[in-house]
Amino acid sequence: MPEVGTVPESWDDDQLLAALKEALQAQGEVPPEFVEAGKSAYMWHNIDAELASLTYDSTRDQDRVPSMRSETASIRALTFTSEHLIIELEVSGESLLGQVIPAHEGTVEIQAGDGVVGTATVDKLGWFPIRPIPASPFRLRYHAADGTDVLTGWITL
Amino acid sequence: MRNDPSVIMLVERARDGDQRAWDQIVARYAPLVWSICGRYQLNRADIDDVGQTVWLLLVEQLGNLRVSAALPGWLATTTQRECLRVLRAARKYDLTGSPGDGQMSPDQAPAMIEQEILAAELNAALRAAFADLPQRCRQLLSMLLSEPPLSYAKISAALSMPVGSIGPQRARCLGRLRRSPHLTAFSDCGVMGGRAENTRTSHAGGGHRA
Repeated sequence: MPEVGTVPESWDDDQLLAALKEALQAQGEVPPEFVEAGKSAYMWHNIDAELASLTYDSTRDQDRVPSMRSETASIRALTFTSEHLIIELEVSGESLLGQVIPAHEGTVEIQAGDGVVGTATVDKLGWFPIRPIPASPFRLRYHAADGTDVLTGWITL
Repeated sequence: MRNDPSVIMLVERARDGDQRAWDQIVARYAPLVWSICGRYQLNRADIDDVGQTVWLLLVEQLGNLRVSAALPGWLATTTQRECLRVLRAARKYDLTGSPGDGQMSPDQAPAMIEQEILAAELNAALRAAFADLPQRCRQLLSMLLSEPPLSYAKISAALSMPVGSIGPQRARCLGRLRRSPHLTAFSDCGVMGGRAENTRTSHAGGGHRA
């Protein structure tokens, strides 16, 4: 066992007890379901897919206009880029519309913190609608028949 | 402060597929994530989103050695960044709120976060040390910490312990706590000294410091 140094030893019993109280209280303030949600995130450990990282976020990069974005005003626009493709997302009103570029038919799986919450079909033009808009953090996994398997980063809208 | 070797080990085990190690990481650091969210005065739904995002990002980053070597710092800065992102997004939709109301300036944030990390590490170490105590000690210390405070007579009755033994037992249990290997990481830095001064001040109830 390593040698215990001098600093903790300098605490008297009252100080140590007060510190312990603070430590236990800090833990007691955290709702159990907050901890449980964190534990369940582990289900997404070791997912083997090509990762698409966030390269544009309208709340972050307001001054930059993404090259392939349509002119329509949207509340929130996001772009994810992987080695082989781009996934664009736009929130307008009650729905979330996505597009895969280059276009290729396939499916999009909607993954939330605690499991898969839905799927969407990607049409010939690469478009896919997601309804309703997921309320909690989610990400998308795009599969195409040619073996493409791309995973976006986590999104909160 | 040195990194706690037990945390590095937990990260390695979680990376290798051990869910229980992951659960321990979450249990250990959830109070840190929670307290940072509290500082930004987010509503509960936003706090849940931030918390979940932080853990999901950590799952993605488990293979990243730089993260495991400095986990508390990574968690604190990631939580802060996610909180700010939520606030920015909310502000964009709610134009009536003036930006920055009640928020800390960016200059204050790094020092604050450093404090939060140190406090969270110390708290986690104290909880781990406490968990390692014999059950009798945990019972006694819990009763001594209960709010509202219990009289020695009540503690004596509840634990079937003579009133005269409570004082010496308290000292013995706290001695064991103090010598716990979990607290070793704090012995070579000033954090405990600083904390001790704070506790002393608050304990005295006066709050007057020279």
